[in-house]
Amino acid sequence: MFDLPFLIDEDIAALNAALGDFALASGARLALLIDVGGFIVTQQGDAGDMDTTTLGALAANNFAATQAIAKIIEEHSVSSLYQEGKVNSLLIQSVADCGFLAVVFPSELGVGSVKFYAQDTVARIAAQLAAARSRPGQGLDTLEVADNGPLFRRK
Amino acid sequence: MALINQATKEIQLKIVYYGPPQGGKTTNLEKVHAEVDAPPDAKGKLTSLATNSDRTLFFDFLPIETTVVRGFKTKFQLFTVPGQVIYNTTRQLVLRGVDGLVFVADSQYEKMEENVQTFANMIQNLETLNQSLENIPYVLQYNKRDLPNAAPVDYLDFLLNNRETQVPAFGSSAVAGEGVFETLNMITRMLLHKLVTESARKAA
Repeated sequence: MFDLPFLIDEDIAALNAALGDFALASGARLALLIDVGGFIVTQQGDAGDMDTTTLGALAANNFAATQAIAKIIEEHSVSSLYQEGKVNSLLIQSVADCGFLAVVFPSELGVGSVKFYAQDTVARIAAQLAAARSRPGQGLDTLEVADNGPLFRRK
Repeated sequence: MALINQATKEIQLKIVYYGPPQGGKTTNLEKVHAEVDAPPDAKGKLTSLATNSDRTLFFDFLPIETTVVRGFKTKFQLFTVPGQVIYNTTRQLVLRGVDGLVFVADSQYEKMEENVQTFANMIQNLETLNQSLENIPYVLQYNKRDLPNAAPVDYLDFLLNNRETQVPAFGSSAVAGEGVFETLNMITRMLLHKLVTESARKAA
């Protein structure tokens, strides 16, 4: 399991292109890149009213639970998880041990074609993350806290 | 393992509330959700994966955001772990990618053994993720201070806050909302301090 690297404009543009191309080719409704902690890195497609923040958290933990189950049954190569629905289905695919590609797609599409297009997309994403990881620290902003008071107040 | 997205100007941080069963972890999140003074779009839905008897099965989850870092939207994801020992694998899963910890101890005398065991279990579970309390900011919350059988704070400090570096500890009564925001504000401040320090080092 790896940390995600710092991502700059160039990375997000490349990741968005990969997800956008994938959504177009596969017919998926929504494609999200999620880190292992459940954070959404970026997404492409039509989220509509979907609560993607919660989707990211649940998908990441769901996948982690599936991997833990796999270990118990002595299966060490689980790289994807498929949840079949009547209208929308979900495919979660591991990306380079540091995140997941989560795909919401119309169930009528069938998971086979979505998986087929996901393979290339996962490779593109992994390549971009590897490039970001090998980049030295330039381009990063120095972070500055704007307010030193309490962040959260009670009503 | 904070996620800093320079392109979208977002920082995402994960805080996990850890502690013995029925110590008040879920109550902390419920109080934050119900009582935080935040615009509706800055506070997400509280999601609880619980058993029929309202015991946490997998985790509770609450996303909440601020604009405290200049130029960045700062999103905090608050998680709880299940307190029951049989769910230890689940605790390990929820700890993945954790940036900061709140250990919610139960102040009642008869819960001291469970507090100590759960604290040790937290350290063990961090080790399975190649993490340790030396590099993850954490605070202690001594909950249920309102109960008559609450042990003295000094005793809880002796049991739980006796490492080389002492950490901030807060007395609380989560059901009454007391100490909940003080705890959250401290751990978020500690996380931001770490983030700012590391960003300065990496940008240099």
